[in-house]
Amino acid sequence: MTDSKTPSIHSGSPQGHVVRPTCDAELREAIELAFDYRGDVTIERKSGESILCFVFNRSAEGSPAWLEVFPSDGVGAVKIPYTDVAAIAFTGEDTASGKSWEAWHAKKESERQAESDRVEAEARARGHL
Amino acid sequence: MAVPVSQMYTVAKYVVTQKLKGVKRYPLVLMLEPLFRCNLACAGCGKIQYPDHVLDKRLTPEQCWAAAEECGAPIVAIPGGEPLIHPEIGRIVEGLVAQKRYIYVCTNAILLERKLKDFAPSKYLTFSVHMDGLKREHDLAVCRDGVYDVAVRAIKEALNRGHRVTTNTTLFDDANPDRVRQFFDEMMALGVEGMMISPGYSYQKAPDQQHFLKKAKTRELFSKILTSPKRAWKFNQSPLFLDFLMGIKEYQCTPWGNPTYNVFGWQKPCYLLQEGYTKTFRELMEATEWHKYGTSKNEKCAECMVHCGYEASAVEDTFGTLSGFARTVKITLLPTAR
Repeated sequence: MTDSKTPSIHSGSPQGHVVRPTCDAELREAIELAFDYRGDVTIERKSGESILCFVFNRSAEGSPAWLEVFPSDGVGAVKIPYTDVAAIAFTGEDTASGKSWEAWHAKKESERQAESDRVEAEARARGHL
Repeated sequence: MAVPVSQMYTVAKYVVTQKLKGVKRYPLVLMLEPLFRCNLACAGCGKIQYPDHVLDKRLTPEQCWAAAEECGAPIVAIPGGEPLIHPEIGRIVEGLVAQKRYIYVCTNAILLERKLKDFAPSKYLTFSVHMDGLKREHDLAVCRDGVYDVAVRAIKEALNRGHRVTTNTTLFDDANPDRVRQFFDEMMALGVEGMMISPGYSYQKAPDQQHFLKKAKTRELFSKILTSPKRAWKFNQSPLFLDFLMGIKEYQCTPWGNPTYNVFGWQKPCYLLQEGYTKTFRELMEATEWHKYGTSKNEKCAECMVHCGYEASAVEDTFGTLSGFARTVKITLLPTAR
């Protein structure tokens, strides 16, 4: 597997990495990583087309094996055969990263209040408060 | 009794019918997540970490009703996300009530007062308000000051309008048993029908990974809280599940007991783990490798004692064994006998 950023993507978030599998095992590993990722990825298909999407399902046992995604600009789900995938770039923000309880407590009171206010303001802007 | 007789009868009839039919695995509570968007960002929640375009997706009322029909469970819990954000939540609930299912809308209650006009009181509808403790503990858990007071105000208003209201509480390892007991007193004094409690589950994607309860500590904590229960306390859940939390009972997980449906489909294998999705409920039940999940079968399940896996086990004990039935009756009629 070639990774454009670091040789190991097994620790921490893969955000920012581009994975270009060179065999079936690496392809499966990359798709598992994308399935577990809580941000958008950009899938480069062997046709040359790219799709910015969230990977929410996959079946390595399917015949053919497939993954299922929600394109960031679309309404419905799209199914992609494993064999169509040339590369996966973890381009979107990892929404689960860097928000630990410790980080929350380590922040100054003013920073915590600012973050709480930001979440509240976003919810208010959407009409959810 | 915290659970109305009609609801108990419906559940009992359903379970006995499944047993008479020889159904080995049956759902008890459908966990229906109509959206993942929330207006809070709680430290213990692993349900809302998605890109915006995913958070903006919603199940339609028709999808919700079809899922409930397909699943067939007598009880439908509607968590999320915050379900009251869904613009058609009133219609969704109305349709489920028409199916005569018992609905629990699990809400942080921030929008409850404003949205109450969208709901007609019904014996089938309960607002299950997220309350993680007294004011200090709750506002800390939800990472926003003032939410406890808003929720208390909304509970009072919902009760005034004739709605069924319960509370649901997730406890973490920093819970103080005395404060939790005070919290129970306070909730019962508000006039809620009953309370639901559960230890938290360490969602892989939850910001707070350090404060989830491990099994031994869970039993210790819940024993301290629930030993010598006060007469006024009422719990809207199986008494045998509370026994399980206290270490009085041992159960295996029943992951198919609370199947989950959301914008991705039917979630394998349970409400807490996301190992893939199926298009149909039948496919979920038939294609999931159930033997791979549960205590001592999967490291992700090792420390889990959450209600969505074990409450169905407790109900199965009630209707599957004479001793379980006798103890359920005893604790239901004499809650202080525990």
